[in-house]
Amino acid sequence: MKTKTPRWRKTSPLSYFLLATITFLSIFPFYWMFVVSSNTNAEISKSPPSLIPGGRFLIVAKKVMSAEGVFFSNALLNTFIVGIAIALAQVMFSAVAGFAFAKLNFRGRKSFILFVVGTMMLPSQLGIIPLFMLVKNLRLIDSLLGLIVPALVTAFGVFWMRQIIDAQIPNELLEAASIDGASVPRIFFSIVLPIIRQSSFVLGLFAFLAAWNDYLWPTIILQSPRHFTLQVALTQLKPMYGLDYALQMGGAFLATAPLLILFIFVGRRLVSGVMDGAVKG
Amino acid sequence: MRTTWKTKSAAALAATLAITAGVLTMPAPAAEPVTITIWTFGDVIQRNLVAEYKALHPEVSLSIKKSDLDPLNGTNMVTACTSKVGPDIVAVEVSYSGYWRSYPKCFQDLRQMKTSDANVAAGVEAGLSATDIKKNYLGWRWEHGVAYDDSVIGIPTDVGGLEVAYRVDLFKKAGLPTDRVAVGKLWPTWDAFIATGQKYLAKLSPADKKAGKGFIDNAGTIYAAIMNQGTEKYYKNDGTDTGKLIYDTNPQVKKAWDTTIKATDAGIGTRIGQYTSDWNIGMNKGTFATILAPAWMMDYIKAQAPDTSGKWDIAKLPVGGGNQGGTQLTIPSYAKNKQAAYDFLTWYLAPEQELKVFKTYGLFPAASVTYSDPALLNFKDPFFNNAPVGQIYASGVSQLKPIFEGKLQRAIDQAIGAGLGRVAAKKMDAKKSWAQVLTDLKKVVNN
Amino acid sequence: MTQLQDVKGGTRAPLTPWKKKKKKEEVFPGVRSLNGRWGHLFVAPFMIMFLIFGLAPVIYSVYISFFRWDPLGGSEFSGLRNFSLLLADSDFWLAIRNTFSIWALSTFPQMLMAIGLAVILRNTRLKGKSFWRTILLVPNITSVIAITIVFGQLFGRDFGIINGILDFFGLNRHIDFIEGVIPSHIAIATMITWRWVGYNTLIFLASMLAIPDELFESASVDGATKWQQFRFVTLPQLKNTITFVLIVGTIGGLQVFAEPQQLAADGGSSKQFLTLTLFLYNQAFVNNKYGYAAAIGIMITFIVLIISTINFFITRKISNDGTR
Repeated sequence: MKTKTPRWRKTSPLSYFLLATITFLSIFPFYWMFVVSSNTNAEISKSPPSLIPGGRFLIVAKKVMSAEGVFFSNALLNTFIVGIAIALAQVMFSAVAGFAFAKLNFRGRKSFILFVVGTMMLPSQLGIIPLFMLVKNLRLIDSLLGLIVPALVTAFGVFWMRQIIDAQIPNELLEAASIDGASVPRIFFSIVLPIIRQSSFVLGLFAFLAAWNDYLWPTIILQSPRHFTLQVALTQLKPMYGLDYALQMGGAFLATAPLLILFIFVGRRLVSGVMDGAVKG
Repeated sequence: MRTTWKTKSAAALAATLAITAGVLTMPAPAAEPVTITIWTFGDVIQRNLVAEYKALHPEVSLSIKKSDLDPLNGTNMVTACTSKVGPDIVAVEVSYSGYWRSYPKCFQDLRQMKTSDANVAAGVEAGLSATDIKKNYLGWRWEHGVAYDDSVIGIPTDVGGLEVAYRVDLFKKAGLPTDRVAVGKLWPTWDAFIATGQKYLAKLSPADKKAGKGFIDNAGTIYAAIMNQGTEKYYKNDGTDTGKLIYDTNPQVKKAWDTTIKATDAGIGTRIGQYTSDWNIGMNKGTFATILAPAWMMDYIKAQAPDTSGKWDIAKLPVGGGNQGGTQLTIPSYAKNKQAAYDFLTWYLAPEQELKVFKTYGLFPAASVTYSDPALLNFKDPFFNNAPVGQIYASGVSQLKPIFEGKLQRAIDQAIGAGLGRVAAKKMDAKKSWAQVLTDLKKVVNN
Repeated sequence: MTQLQDVKGGTRAPLTPWKKKKKKEEVFPGVRSLNGRWGHLFVAPFMIMFLIFGLAPVIYSVYISFFRWDPLGGSEFSGLRNFSLLLADSDFWLAIRNTFSIWALSTFPQMLMAIGLAVILRNTRLKGKSFWRTILLVPNITSVIAITIVFGQLFGRDFGIINGILDFFGLNRHIDFIEGVIPSHIAIATMITWRWVGYNTLIFLASMLAIPDELFESASVDGATKWQQFRFVTLPQLKNTITFVLIVGTIGGLQVFAEPQQLAADGGSSKQFLTLTLFLYNQAFVNNKYGYAAAIGIMITFIVLIISTINFFITRKISNDGTR
């Protein structure tokens, strides 16, 4: 039994130092947001800048939440609804289609997946106007569905799922189940889904994050303040010309804080999901 | 029994009286609830005025959506007009006036609208069309809301104006006069302004020079100031929707460019970009002694550099009068509640309301009839050393002439601005930079 | 650890969920015994939605690239004019230069950092493993707009913290992170790296954890230094992961948009950080030349496709040559 830590496993102090530095750098901008939002504009405009938070955070937070046109709790709720809906939908659609692309033989499979991957390379900014017309014809302007429906499927989601299923589910497993007489849907639900659960969670979470931070499309679609998502609501804080730093940063901080809280709970799962495969081995 | 006609008429009279009394005391039918959707940016639509209107008209609710200026006046409005789905009122900034005047089909011609009697009690007569209220406003600001086919697509809210905000304490240190009239006399021309700047630089200590201090925050702002003092800019009005391009031949452009280059070469500007965090810090630290300031910038300075209160003053702009910024409120052609929107708009933009906005937020009224109002004329701002800012800006904006803006106004401004920036950053000399401006603009026009 | 058999009968490392299958490998036929006809049904929901919301913009783009189109005005057929103008447009080539420069600055250092961090985190004796790993993903949850404001302040020319630190180290001149070509690219690349390095570290870490300890032990017994172990044990096993990170990073990196746009909407006075997608966006939504913008979009797609394919083939070749 090994009692001595092998030489190649020791962690040098240098490593801890590097990790601490990385941690600091990762968190610093976030901390900076807090500092800026809790100080007065005069404080922020000093040089060298104050690195310590001031005492005004609660004041600024209150200002943000009660600002004209910012219905903060509405916006928070809307953003959650949109995020979760998109996450669930993307996972479902992508898993089903990804499974087909990975494991089922059907005609047109090759060309279609190629086409799907190809569209990933087309810049999304180009599609704004036709998408808007489409959403308008579906009468979804100014509704949360106008955000959800166009985002139900993504090329990336299907592609990711295809790769995941391809890597994590051995063909023998499926063949064995098939020999035992299970139908394809049965195989999908009972065998495939449980195995890819962690990776699906990751896809869902990243879809949720993307929806949370999306700005361009919601600004175009949403019209009434009560329907706004967080990012659009935060735009209501902008003064006419220039920036009110404290208010903006306060808003940004408040918009990220729920994610941070969510993160504390699911962070570990997210991490293990991203690293999935190795852990399972 | 014989009923006499007396009895009959008495009965008839009683009945009539009863019915009339009943009718008179019946509650008036409630006005139809209506929601007016407004797309705006920043504080164009003032919160307290919105509340005031709601008190006047409880049945009206205002749904206000703020956006960033460029997406609002660009993508969002284009998408809305293409799909005919959008708000009842849109705020259009002056820098987009050239573009939108080419597309009057996206807007309701306000000459065809008439005010209802909804706001008579609040001082807005019934039956007023845009033609009727035109006289209340500054002529050249009104023109920003007139389309190429002469339809009135928007009515102005405020006018930016432009004067020089200067630091009294820093001028004193440099041996320059500090009284605002005397300061105004220092620079009757732009060349004199540049010379003053050079004098200021000469008096800077070596430490200050090293710290990058300068006379004006950004010499590039001189270009726009000079352009607005002329009578022509990039286009000639030829009655078509786009107008005729003259940017490459207009001597005003050359004058503005050359003067700005002269100022840049003289090194009087610090090159700090406006609205960056460096600029805010610079305001606090006295990194620059002057800013070409529109009226609305005063509030910005107050918010960003409150500790400098009392150290600033306002002097007249060289040559006389300038403008930066301003907004028109428009009603899109596809709006659903045009009458209600027009009633709100005419109330909101009435001289009385614009004066209120000035008092609370510092946006200078485009309603020129207010300029003789003692409230405006006697308004003094303690932050700016009790300067009579109402008077100063009023006299400044009254000197400007209408300038025709055309469709590619913004693109041309951007290209020239970039050209000046290249020279300031010492990337190119002035000649080469101008040549590139011309190449860039040719692409914009032709591609 | 189960060894997975691929169809060709060889074994491949258990962790290659990321190996991007390109055209040639599509020959791999799926599970024979499963009823293929279910395929159409399974794909149908995705396909329908995708055709409506994914295909429409593509067709629209291809179509209007042959027109001069102003949505509020008219449209006029112009054939290949947009493409020929584009190839002659110096801004296009400038945008290509900027995009590739930013891509290089944000992809390669990031990969090195990610691999380095993964090596450190790989040690099972490391204290606080969970904590370090979780922190890595924090940058990913902040909004791009807020971050550009923060970094804009940090990178300020006169009073930004970064220049302040450089001052402290004796550099007398302040770097202009907006006007300079390379400095502005560095500023943007820093924002991108900051956001994604943690995510990529975890991907590399996963790959590394799949490498059996026995390999390291035997190398150590043979007297290999840590660096040699890294070079000859770790690195070869990482080839597939590197391919994935590179390709995904390329598709995203060549379409960088939000960061440059927030820095300056026109891409800078000398267009020093005008990226391809920003160029597209400005042509469409500032200059109102939607046809031209569509042509740009199509060119971007080609460029990304070509680079991704090159990436793929290069890394495949290297990994095929150097299997240990």
